[in-house]
Amino acid sequence: MMHIRMLNRLCAAIVLMFAIAGGAAAADRPKEGVEADASTRQVAITSSFTGTEILVFGTVENSVQPSPEAGTYDIIIVVEGMPGPVVVREKSRVAGIWINTSSLMFASVPSYYAIASTRPIDEIADKALLDANQIGFDHVRMAHARDADVDAATVRSFKDALIRLKEAQGVYVRRDFGVTFIGRSLFRATISLPPNVPVGPLTARVYLFKEGKLLGQYQSRVMLQREGIERFIHNFAISQPLAYGLVTVLLAAAAGLTAAFAFRKPA
Amino acid sequence: MTLYLPIAEMSVSVITFLALGATVGFLSGLFGVGGGFLLAPLLTFLGIPPGVAIATSTSHVVASSVSGAMTHHRRGNVDVKLGLVMLAGGLVGTYLGVNFVKILTARGLFELTVSLTYVIFLGTVGTIILFEGINASRKPRSPGGSSLRKPGQHSWIERLPFKMRFPRSKLYTSAVPPVVIGMFVGFISAMMGIGGGFVMIPALIYLLRVPTGLVIGTSLFQIVFVSATATVLHAVENKSVDIVLAVILIAGGVLGAQFGTMAGEKLRGEHLRVLLGALILLVAARMAFDLAVRPSDLYSLALVPGAP
Repeated sequence: MMHIRMLNRLCAAIVLMFAIAGGAAAADRPKEGVEADASTRQVAITSSFTGTEILVFGTVENSVQPSPEAGTYDIIIVVEGMPGPVVVREKSRVAGIWINTSSLMFASVPSYYAIASTRPIDEIADKALLDANQIGFDHVRMAHARDADVDAATVRSFKDALIRLKEAQGVYVRRDFGVTFIGRSLFRATISLPPNVPVGPLTARVYLFKEGKLLGQYQSRVMLQREGIERFIHNFAISQPLAYGLVTVLLAAAAGLTAAFAFRKPA
Repeated sequence: MTLYLPIAEMSVSVITFLALGATVGFLSGLFGVGGGFLLAPLLTFLGIPPGVAIATSTSHVVASSVSGAMTHHRRGNVDVKLGLVMLAGGLVGTYLGVNFVKILTARGLFELTVSLTYVIFLGTVGTIILFEGINASRKPRSPGGSSLRKPGQHSWIERLPFKMRFPRSKLYTSAVPPVVIGMFVGFISAMMGIGGGFVMIPALIYLLRVPTGLVIGTSLFQIVFVSATATVLHAVENKSVDIVLAVILIAGGVLGAQFGTMAGEKLRGEHLRVLLGALILLVAARMAFDLAVRPSDLYSLALVPGAP
């Protein structure tokens, strides 16, 4: 990755030198590209974690945009959590009460998905391009596990429900005008991580579009992990569940006995 | 002040949950019940995932019943032998209950089953307690107590095999009913996140005919061990015990319970039973309402158990 990028830059520099050496404004302008990063590479989930924001910023290389407002380029930023299986259940009324009667399992669904763009994504690029790059809730591949006996309409309604519920939980976030240019080439967006953000590594992807064409993309990682006491307790609960359970019981019993002793009536 | 819960994976207000623990503790001290039947539904109501609510609630039951059990034991109000026999069944029942929760969760039927169980149990028990309390408070207080022990009843229970002598309770009876009762209480305790006193106490009185003076102590004795086992098993099997949440709830709970006990001493037993019956029915009605009314979203999400 690193080498390729350096090579790219070197190439760009060489091209640039040739262009200058050539004197005239060459017909083939240097190609535009994108570089970006996140303000925080490490987000710590501690006992005081109440959600946070990360800033994703970047620059368009060789920008020909005359001003920040010109709208020559479109940027889409996607911050995605680890994919995992999710079951969507649907209730219906049976004998007067509401019961989960049908369900569909999606084998691989991003646990977290935030998308920010300079304008609504369907204005930026066509469906095929968004699908290919998995940009946007509707374009992320969400394969359902049992494919035999469900028709497309059912899958569609389960998938819609999945997206709607994830949005309601605050773990799928969309900001249509969340990316702003603050210079001819510099852009930024804030991505909010809610308190219930699933713990795990995040991938930040930045896409550069111009007139519906994808000119470049850039990828970066943000680590999201438990730290301090939070990490200790969670590891304890997962790796030594028996001891963890016993400690909980002992704490409970000690608290109960202490209170009874402290409040004991004289005589 | 907010705190991030390591197992529930959410940030909660400490004050809210301290207050919840204290309220439930107050009521459990007031009525002499474990309070699990209030705690688990209220936790769910406040957004704690149902599995975590049930499992963490069992640890709260440990805290709220241990001091009572100790006091009764000191005063000699516990039939330890009977308690141990029931506990043998209780441990099996708890194990089955915890695993039943696991199976139901995987099938997406956990919440429904818990709600239905709550509605049925609380509805029945609440109605009985309420009417019994109303009748008792209407009648003038008669000395000599009730005629709970009617000799000659339940002859089929006496005909069961494996007779055992329980000297403390002055009983010579089959070991089968205590084991079955223990098992049943262990099962619902693990599944509903409650102590199960409201099932245990009537069973001890009406089925086993344990002397009234020993009923509460023996019931608490069994509840301490069953809820402790349920907590550990939930931690092992379902990884759903949140120790941070437990500590907050227990801190509020043990304090609340002391004040509840003081308040309870100022009220008449019959009035307390009417209030308790009404409270239990309220919880049951609320859960029945939630089952019957159309949910705002018919769809729901669930993580796949065992997935990272």
